[in-house]
Amino acid sequence: MTTRDLVLIALFAAIIVFLGIVPPITLGFIPVPITAQSMGVMLAGCIIGAKRGSLAYLLVVLMVAIGLPVLSGGRGGLAILAGPTAGFIIGWVVGTFVTGLIAEKLVRESQTGGRQIAGFFLASVIGGIGVVYLLGIAWLAFVTGLGIEKAVMGSLVFIPGDILKAAIASLAARAVIVGYPLLPQRA
Amino acid sequence: MKSLYVEGGTPLHRITVRTKLVMLLAASVVLFFVTSPLVLLPIFLLCAATYFTLGLPLREAFGRVGWVLFAILILALATLYFDGARQAAAMALRIGAVVFLAAAITATTAVSAFMDEITILLQPLERVGLVRAADVGLALALVIRFVPEILERYGHIREAHRARGLPMRPLTLFAPLIILTLKDADTIAMAIDARGFRRQ
Repeated sequence: MTTRDLVLIALFAAIIVFLGIVPPITLGFIPVPITAQSMGVMLAGCIIGAKRGSLAYLLVVLMVAIGLPVLSGGRGGLAILAGPTAGFIIGWVVGTFVTGLIAEKLVRESQTGGRQIAGFFLASVIGGIGVVYLLGIAWLAFVTGLGIEKAVMGSLVFIPGDILKAAIASLAARAVIVGYPLLPQRA
Repeated sequence: MKSLYVEGGTPLHRITVRTKLVMLLAASVVLFFVTSPLVLLPIFLLCAATYFTLGLPLREAFGRVGWVLFAILILALATLYFDGARQAAAMALRIGAVVFLAAAITATTAVSAFMDEITILLQPLERVGLVRAADVGLALALVIRFVPEILERYGHIREAHRARGLPMRPLTLFAPLIILTLKDADTIAMAIDARGFRRQ
């Protein structure tokens, strides 16, 4: 790994921590404020790619484990990793990797803006929502003994907000690939 | 960034990190097979008592685990509805006990102690050539160094929006922030290499 990759991983981990500190932003047309941190999965995968993105999230999980309050609302510590929602945290790492893999496959710098955004959106929905919920719900069902279907039903409430986040993340990723392309140079 | 460590001299402070982590792992595996709420209740109370007697102010002690406890409560209500009271109580007590134990370990272990343990745990991987423990430490230091920088930059971008009368949209706030932050990577990487931090 080059020093530049190491620095990119660390800087993106810092951005993920920042996304947890920044106060939730209210969009004009929906009343619920959106928390930005779960958007980090989509952003990391689409912007710095599978390997570097998932390492950035692994770094954040490591910081949580050693007792730094880096998650939204100043949460952190082993209690988060021992709790019923730990599957979502692991889902972030795997989800970022999957998002990155799909984005690397689908998006080229030579493509038109529309195609790039569509590629990022697809990657964000599959990796950032699909994979994250898959692992999160599986762990939830395993720990609590609730059936998978019941755990799925409980999580569906959050899906519309996440689709919106995927849209914002893919537009942001498109802006970054225009301004400072990092995805094509794979780590 | 202030860590979640609390100064003190309780027995839990004196045990080594490794023992504490093995304890936590053992507790979570063993408790998984215990299904009787009557057995789980004393264990839960013991873990909760350990956590609340570490010297943390009560408010902060609750604040740290509040979110997880809330999630457990919601899950307990769902379990109560679907599977009955016995199942719900067992689940809540089991996860609650592990969460309190984990929170107690976090509060009694300094970040540096954790880092030393991680360096040891990474050694096998280092021998294979997968990661370098020093790189992990360097990356952690970089994150802690750059979070305030990013917050400051975010403030500048907000001011720029305000000066132009633009609405605060996530897209127009985050895209320039990410580009500006990642553009620093080259300079920082050069500075690290110039000082020979990674001995390459």
